[in-house]
Amino acid sequence: MKMVSIFVLISILILFPAICFSQEKSKNEILIGLIPEENIFRQMDRYRPLGDYLSNKLNIKTRFTILSRYGDIIDRFLIRNLDGAFFGAFTSVLAIEKLKVEPVVRLQNIDGTTTAEGYIIVRKDSGIKDIKDMKGKTIAFVDRATATGFLFAIAYFKEHGIANPFSYFKEYYFTGSHDSALLSVLDGRADIGVVKSTIVRERIRREPLIENEISIIARSMPLPDVTLCLSKKLDSALRDKIKRILITMDRDPEGIKVLERLGASRFINASKEDFIPVYNLLKKADINLKTYRYKQ
Amino acid sequence: MKKRLIIALSILFLLFTTGVGITIFYIYKTTKDLETVINLHRVEIIRQNLVINTQTVQTHLYTIGTAFGSEVDVIVEHVSDLDKSVQSCRGCHHNKELTERLDRLSDMVEQYKDALSALITTTANQERIERLRLVAITLGNTLLSMVQEMAFTADQRLYIKTINALRDINNSKIILFITLSIAFLIALLVAVVFTRQITKSISMLINATKELKSGKLGVTANYPYKDEFRDLSEAFNDMSLTLKKNHDELLGFARRLSHLYRVTIPLYYLSEEGMPYKDLTEIVKELFDAKDSKILLKDNGRFIDIMDREISIPQKEMEALYLYYKKEPAIFRKESPPPIGDEYIQTISGSALFIWIKEQEKLSGLLMVYNKISGDFDDTDLNIAAILSNIISVSFINLKLMENLKAQMKELKETQEQLIQAAKLAALGEMASNIAHELNNPLTSIIGFSELSQEETDIETIKKDLKIIEQESIRAKEIVNQLLEFARKRSINIGNVNLNILLKEVLQLASLQLKHGNIDVREEFGDIPIIKADHNQLKQVFLNMINNAIFAMPEGGILTLRTGMIEDKVFVDVEDTGHGIPPDILPRIFEPFFTTKKEKGTGLGLSISYRIIESHGGKIEVKSEINRGTRFTVILPVNLSS
Repeated sequence: MKMVSIFVLISILILFPAICFSQEKSKNEILIGLIPEENIFRQMDRYRPLGDYLSNKLNIKTRFTILSRYGDIIDRFLIRNLDGAFFGAFTSVLAIEKLKVEPVVRLQNIDGTTTAEGYIIVRKDSGIKDIKDMKGKTIAFVDRATATGFLFAIAYFKEHGIANPFSYFKEYYFTGSHDSALLSVLDGRADIGVVKSTIVRERIRREPLIENEISIIARSMPLPDVTLCLSKKLDSALRDKIKRILITMDRDPEGIKVLERLGASRFINASKEDFIPVYNLLKKADINLKTYRYKQ
Repeated sequence: MKKRLIIALSILFLLFTTGVGITIFYIYKTTKDLETVINLHRVEIIRQNLVINTQTVQTHLYTIGTAFGSEVDVIVEHVSDLDKSVQSCRGCHHNKELTERLDRLSDMVEQYKDALSALITTTANQERIERLRLVAITLGNTLLSMVQEMAFTADQRLYIKTINALRDINNSKIILFITLSIAFLIALLVAVVFTRQITKSISMLINATKELKSGKLGVTANYPYKDEFRDLSEAFNDMSLTLKKNHDELLGFARRLSHLYRVTIPLYYLSEEGMPYKDLTEIVKELFDAKDSKILLKDNGRFIDIMDREISIPQKEMEALYLYYKKEPAIFRKESPPPIGDEYIQTISGSALFIWIKEQEKLSGLLMVYNKISGDFDDTDLNIAAILSNIISVSFINLKLMENLKAQMKELKETQEQLIQAAKLAALGEMASNIAHELNNPLTSIIGFSELSQEETDIETIKKDLKIIEQESIRAKEIVNQLLEFARKRSINIGNVNLNILLKEVLQLASLQLKHGNIDVREEFGDIPIIKADHNQLKQVFLNMINNAIFAMPEGGILTLRTGMIEDKVFVDVEDTGHGIPPDILPRIFEPFFTTKKEKGTGLGLSISYRIIESHGGKIEVKSEINRGTRFTVILPVNLSS
């Protein structure tokens, strides 16, 4: 009996620092996921200063991880035990429904907009003028779990009487990111592309000639753009602190530099109501979230 | 020398400066080359990182999308490093060609990133995915080829740069060594040449200095070259000549001082013979190196030559000359004689020095020094003449004072002798009076009782009267005897005397009186040597003193006898505790016939004692206080002098 007590005591003594250390470690790092809405390397370059800024302000190391495919993000969020992620409109809805996360802040673009539209684009020299011309062509979507890169186009096609859009085209594929979808059209790998307006505008800003190469066949209603959703498992005080830092960083000279690098003017409050247009699109696209297979 | 030194040092400085300049140039060049080499090595490291990262990413390309694929974060990290490597290369300054190549490389990296991103994020059929993978792999390989090609070029440049840098380092070492060697040799040559020249010059000056030190004043150093040492040798020569000149002047002064001293000697030893004029004129001649000298003194309205009384000058003319020269010593020159002066003065041939002898500014004589042998009289002679004038004048005054003193002394002696004679007569009178008084008493008694006996018939009464007459006669005889004793010059019988024993004998003699007088005796005898003295006379002295002490203590008291040494002499204290001697009487106690005992004493005891001790070469001291006592101290030498 005595031996058993000593064994238990020694075990507690050995395990106690390990337990403490592990708890401390979870508190000492915040891991936030990024959906690959553009070239993932460029995107990581944009977000890395924000990670440093938050680390400095929170005194907790904050880093980002690329979620390689839109559809994977729900699974990867769980597997990697993420504390939050910058989601697109559709993925935000998916996360709210499946991961019990809470929308915290949204990005306000440089031009003051806080929303993005979905574009159906073609090359000007493709000869495609409307939906009828698209039949039998190759279309590049971004991902099944993106509103501006997929959902709005499905709703659009259904509104225009195409019951099964996938059989309407010769080939369809998912580029995984908006700029890849744009590049697919520009490179001729796809005839039609479904992309987010902000990505197109950003690309045109960097390469103005592109504007003459593409034409927009259709565009969606404004949809909420990149939104930071934080896990409800995260300490509410820490959640509030992160939100406060992000909301006020446009008043901090250092924060302004980070925002410029991010390609945004500031962060604004986000709420579940912001995503009502997405729910409407889901209805139009005849997609039931509970049964929807967002994975490829 | 200074110029040559400056030129030599300037050449050395120039040589060193050139050497240092060349060395600095090579060091700078080498440093630059080494910097380039280091930078190229850095670039090599960057290139290697680039290659490694590219190869790593290429490896990941084959596993992306499979179960063995790495996490996207790892790929992102590698691509980020790859991108950093390229950007760090572009950050440096390169030539146009290289810049263009780096720009192409950067573009290639961007394309590679796009291809990778597309491959990682695209969801499509396998064929499309493989196509994307092929695109990415092809771009990656192209990138690797570009990097390796650039690395090859960089390696070549690195090799050439390294070789050049090593060659420059070697060159700079050789040049530095040659420069320093040449500079050292030149410095050595300059040092040897200058040292030899300086040593030679200094040696010459040292030798001259040694000669100077050994007393060879006026020695000169002849330095042949025209430089600073020439100036130094000239300064040395000046110094040597100046020293010689000053030395000669000092010798002259010393000689004159010596003569001056010699002049003063006869003047200090003025005797009854008066002023030693002959000596004086001779020494003055020597003092001024003159051919002749004369002394003229005032005498009865004229100034007469002491040595040749035929030569004289009227007082009036002499005083006019004295005033003409403002009472100061003067130089007379035949070619410019004074407008006044006696015929004799005017006949002086050559030059003469007039030294006035004064008595309180009044002219009393003239010392004339004729014709200086070595040149003419000058200011120095005048200064000495002024001193001499004062000395001789003072001597004349002293001579006069001494003569006055002699006269006064003679007068004083005569007066003193008269006073002594008068005092002797007075003393003799007093002594005669005292003797008469002493003898008068017994004689009066004798006369009285003789007259009574003549009238007396009773034989017994006559017998009694005769007895008294006899006693009084004896007393008179004793007085006369003592007087004779006092007057008589007794011879001293010298022998060894132990004063302590002598005093005990005296005490024995007086023991009865001491006992009756109730006097306590204290003997405080010290350790004293045996002295040479007359035993009996000393006994008489101390017996007299003890009797006086007993008389002074009628009520009894303490008598202390004390012996001891004072320096090399023996002393004896006879001290009583009696009534003491009044201060007004004390100076008279050693006078003959002076007594305080009335009929009980003759007043000769202490006078005789005093004479005895004096004859022994000693003395008696007395100290007395009223009602406290008296102490007589006899001090005697151990050995009686002849």
